[in-house]
Amino acid sequence: MNAITLIWTLVAKDLKIEWRSRQALLTTVFFALLILVVFNFAFDPGSPATREAAPGILWVALLFPGIIQVNRSFQIEMEEGTLYGLILSPVDRGILFLGKFLANWLFLMVVDLVVLFLFLIFYNFSLSLQVLWIALLVVLSGFGFAAVGTLFGAMVSNIRTREVLLPILLFPIILPIILPAVNATQEVLLFQEIQSLNRSVGFLVCFDVIYVAAGFLLFDYVVSD
Amino acid sequence: MPPQSVPLLRLSKLTKKFGAIRAVWNVDLEISRGDVLAIFGPNGAGKTTLLRVIASLTQPTSGKMAFAFKGHNQRRDGVGYVSHLSLLYNELTGIENLLFYARLYQIKDAQQRAGEMLTEMGLEEARNQPTGEYSRGMKQRLTLARALLHEPQLLLLDEPYTGLDQHGSRLFTEVLRGLKQEGRTILLVTHNLGEGLELCNRVIIQNRGEVVFQAPREHVDPSGFERLYFQAVEEGGRRR
Amino acid sequence: MDWLLIPLYLLMVAALYGALLYAPTESEMGEVQRIFYFHMGAAWNAFLAFFGVFLGGFLYLFTRKQSWDRLAASCAEIGVVFTTIVLLSGSVWARPIWNTWLAWGDPRVMTTMVLWLIYVAYFLLRSSLPEGEMKYKYCAVFGIIGFLDVPIVWVSIRWWRTIHPVVITSSGAQLEPEMIHALIVSVIAMTVLGVTLVMLRMAMRLNNSMAEELVQELVERA
Repeated sequence: MNAITLIWTLVAKDLKIEWRSRQALLTTVFFALLILVVFNFAFDPGSPATREAAPGILWVALLFPGIIQVNRSFQIEMEEGTLYGLILSPVDRGILFLGKFLANWLFLMVVDLVVLFLFLIFYNFSLSLQVLWIALLVVLSGFGFAAVGTLFGAMVSNIRTREVLLPILLFPIILPIILPAVNATQEVLLFQEIQSLNRSVGFLVCFDVIYVAAGFLLFDYVVSD
Repeated sequence: MPPQSVPLLRLSKLTKKFGAIRAVWNVDLEISRGDVLAIFGPNGAGKTTLLRVIASLTQPTSGKMAFAFKGHNQRRDGVGYVSHLSLLYNELTGIENLLFYARLYQIKDAQQRAGEMLTEMGLEEARNQPTGEYSRGMKQRLTLARALLHEPQLLLLDEPYTGLDQHGSRLFTEVLRGLKQEGRTILLVTHNLGEGLELCNRVIIQNRGEVVFQAPREHVDPSGFERLYFQAVEEGGRRR
Repeated sequence: MDWLLIPLYLLMVAALYGALLYAPTESEMGEVQRIFYFHMGAAWNAFLAFFGVFLGGFLYLFTRKQSWDRLAASCAEIGVVFTTIVLLSGSVWARPIWNTWLAWGDPRVMTTMVLWLIYVAYFLLRSSLPEGEMKYKYCAVFGIIGFLDVPIVWVSIRWWRTIHPVVITSSGAQLEPEMIHALIVSVIAMTVLGVTLVMLRMAMRLNNSMAEELVQELVERA
């Protein structure tokens, strides 16, 4: 049985669990929706100034479900000590990382794309094909976020202050995603321009590669005692 | 005296510290194949840490561990571990849990093996029930099944009787007795002096990280054991 | 490290002299520009210390020798102090000249800010873990990830924020030779200061560790 099958076993397990405890996923989506509404109240969607700030609002709104998901994915493993079950097995820890990371990324995509859809509606942006570019940005940035998030999520899983510590650790590291993401979103939504996306996409891909590799290599240190 | 053979597990001056705190301290121990070793000791004695080190859940700070597994490549393949945490996913059914672990251990015919173990533990009927709905006793039996899937040569049990009622304890002991008869090597940490003594062929008492008492089962009088236990724990404390 | 103390003292005196008296007053900015001599030194040390955090963590993961973790933790302490100095001195300097406390849009300012956040996060992580291998490993991992992040942050700001005209140009007009002398002395002095402090803190940590072991021994004997 090779690595791919093992990874699939791990991802399938998480998918099954998530599907059976559906309300967790729904709660996260609902929370993201609430964030958007809060922003709606805080910044008047009608005003032109808000329209310019809207891309920023989108990406801030996407951070929160991300944190929640990454935290939760290891809470499941702490409940009955199943994380130990994984560590005890002969599976390479890098593979364990990839399994968790991909599962996290998948859930993140589900939630994020719902948020994106709602955002476009709330802020009155047309649902044209251009939007696919933004979806691409969400997908790419999701990889980087999920990679670092999975690594840190495992780290804080047995710390009491994990709820507040995880964002403190995670946010400074994923800050560099925000700039190209917001900028590119601006170009697409406000100026209908996609030339400059090359740079953003390239940057995000590099970010993803670096951190997925880092996560793969460092996961062992974070789960073994 | 059986012919000299390489012990399945040999610990030499094994120490595990957390910062300055000595959880396991200078433990010398030899486990032969087929041994059933009962490990007693007060809370905080380091029994759980000892087992975790042997299971390679945690690295020792110093000292040596030598395993003589037959055939297995990795240490993790040769050890089965049961703790009071069930290591089961509450949302998955009994068979799904076993199947998951069977696949993780890359067992051939995972489906078949998982089904077999389930039946062996008498959990056929609860096969398609989420383990979250299992009783404590059922969970412990399934946990044991999970630990045995890959046919480990060394089975580690950390306080498996926790939360089990009389009936559950009896059932569990029966299962363990069966395993003992199969010739499995078992390390059993328990507070349950009665069940522990019944099953084991060797006894150790651990206190404050150190092994303060070690003897074969024949040399221990069950009726006086409780007194001996308290004596050993106090003395061990005073000895240093 | 006592042998360092005398050269350190001399260097610091020289640096102060250089910055405050020896170097000429800058034509455009006036006296406040003198902060620059210490601002640069602090900035250099802030990043050097972060390299120390990375190195200590990385080598700890490799060797499991606690002394590397002591290096990492001590560098983090000194580093966060220097980073705070950079941010504060930079603000004090910027306000009268460019009429803003923090120059958002300047990659150096923003990167230093992120560096500060990573340092603080590092400490919060350290303080929420009990002493032991787990703590040192986790902090090493975070240190490595953080170290990878800093250049990435820099690039992202450079590419996507510095579209607007940069508010602060580097250090000001031409540097007269005396200024360069003062700057060099100052940077060297502050580096020696940083190194001395790190070594001091490492020694303190080692003593702490040994004391704890002794206490544990006594407790066990009791």
